[in-house]
Amino acid sequence: MIIDFNLIIQHLPFLLQGILVTLQIAAFGCCIGLLLGTVLALFQTSNNSFLRILVNSYVVIIRGTPMLIQVFSAYFLLPQIGIHIPALWTAILAIGLNSAAYISQIIRSGILSINTGQIEAAKVLGFSTTDTIRYIILPQALRTTLPSLGNEFVTLIKDSSLASLIGVNELTKQANFIKSKTFDAITVYFAVAILYLIMTSTISFLVSRLEKRMNNYAQD
Amino acid sequence: MLKINNIKKSYNKKKILNNISLTVNEGEIALFLGSSGVGKSTLLRILNNLETIDNGTFYLDGKLLDLNQVNKTHTVGMVFQHFNLFDHLTVEQNIMLPLEKILKKSAPDAHKITEQLLTRYGLLDKKNKYALQLSGGQKQRLAIARTLAMEPKIICLDEPTSALDPVLTSFVANNIQQLATDGYIVLVATHDTDLIKKLNCTIYLMREGSIIETAQSQALQNNPEQFPYIKSFIAGHE
Repeated sequence: MIIDFNLIIQHLPFLLQGILVTLQIAAFGCCIGLLLGTVLALFQTSNNSFLRILVNSYVVIIRGTPMLIQVFSAYFLLPQIGIHIPALWTAILAIGLNSAAYISQIIRSGILSINTGQIEAAKVLGFSTTDTIRYIILPQALRTTLPSLGNEFVTLIKDSSLASLIGVNELTKQANFIKSKTFDAITVYFAVAILYLIMTSTISFLVSRLEKRMNNYAQD
Repeated sequence: MLKINNIKKSYNKKKILNNISLTVNEGEIALFLGSSGVGKSTLLRILNNLETIDNGTFYLDGKLLDLNQVNKTHTVGMVFQHFNLFDHLTVEQNIMLPLEKILKKSAPDAHKITEQLLTRYGLLDKKNKYALQLSGGQKQRLAIARTLAMEPKIICLDEPTSALDPVLTSFVANNIQQLATDGYIVLVATHDTDLIKKLNCTIYLMREGSIIETAQSQALQNNPEQFPYIKSFIAGHE
C-alpha cells in the first residue's frame, strides 16, 4: 500500500499542533483582511479621488505580485525598519494585508450592487453618511458578498502554508519535518492534503449555513 | 403653507424646470401632471435635497426653507416611485430603525409608534416579514408609514401608481387623500390620468419644465372644456 496509515496515526498529534498554528494564521489574517478590506472598499467607493487612487495602487501592487514575495518582503523588511516581531505575526500580517486587497474588491462590488434608491431613502429620512454605511450599506454588502468572502477565507487557509517558508511551524512545516524523518513524502502529503480539505470544507459548510440564515429576507 | 418661487433647474443647458411658482396649503394636494421628463419628479427631488437647484426659493409658513437642512429637520418626506424600502430589514425594522437611530426615540416609544402606523396601514400582521416579501401595494403603504414616522410637514409622492397594478389606484388615491385630510402638505408627481380623477387636488400640467395649465380637480370634472391642455393630456393627445 502506498499510504502508510500507521505513520499518519503515529504523527497525528504533531500534525494537530501544526493545524492550531494554521488556524491561528488564518483567523487573525482573516480579521485583518476583513477589517482593512472593508475600510479600503469604503475608501474606493468614496468621492475622495486621493483615497481612491491610494486604494487602487495598493490593490494593483498586492494583486500583481506573488504572495510568496510579499511574505518574504515582510520577513526581511520589517527588522530593517526596526520592527521585530515573531515570524508567526509576520506571516499573519503579510497574509492579512494580502487578503485585504482581495476582500476590498469583493466588498466594493457588494456596495456597488446596492440600489442607490435605498441610499436616497436613507438620506431623505435623515441618516448621515456614516449611519447610512453602518445600517444600510454594509449589512447588505456583506450579505451579498458572503459566498465570495467564503472563498477568500478558504484561500486564506491554503495560503497560510506559505508561512512555513519563513519558519513558522504550521501544518505544512510540520509535514516537512515528518517527511524529512520518515522519507515517506506520499503518505505525509496525503495526510496533510486531507487535513487541509477538512478545514476548508468546514469553512465552506459554515459559510453556506450562514449565507442561508442571513439571506432569509430574500426568500418568499 | 408652502410657497414655491421661481424654481429653475437645467442639466447640460437643457431646461428641466423653468420658473416654477405655486402655493400649497396644509391639507391640500398639489398634483404635477405630465409626461416623463417634464421635470415633475425633479421638483420633488429638489425639495428633498436629492438634486441641487439653480435658482429659486421655497418658503414654509413664511420662513425660507434651507434645502441643505430639510433632511436633518425632517421637514419633508418622500415616498419613492419604487418605494426604496430597506430590503434587509423587516417591515417593523424599516420604521423602527429611523425612529431609534435618527429621531433617537427609546425602543418602547419607537415600538409603540411603529405598531400604531402598521395598524393604521393594515400591515401589523406583516411586521416580521421582510420588505422584499410584500406585495406592491403593501410596499407602498409601508413606504408611506415610514415617511409619516418622521413627522414631516410636507409629503412628496413620486409616481405613486406607476409601480402598482391599475386596480390599486383607488386605494392609493384614498391613502393620498387621507394624508391631506390629516393636514399634511401633499405634492404628487404623476402621469397617471386615472389618479387625478380620484383625488381632490389642484392639478398643474407641466410641459418642458413649465406649468402650462392649472385646474382644480372639481372644476375640471365639471367643465373640462375650460382646461384644453389637461383635457387633451387625459385624452392622450398631448
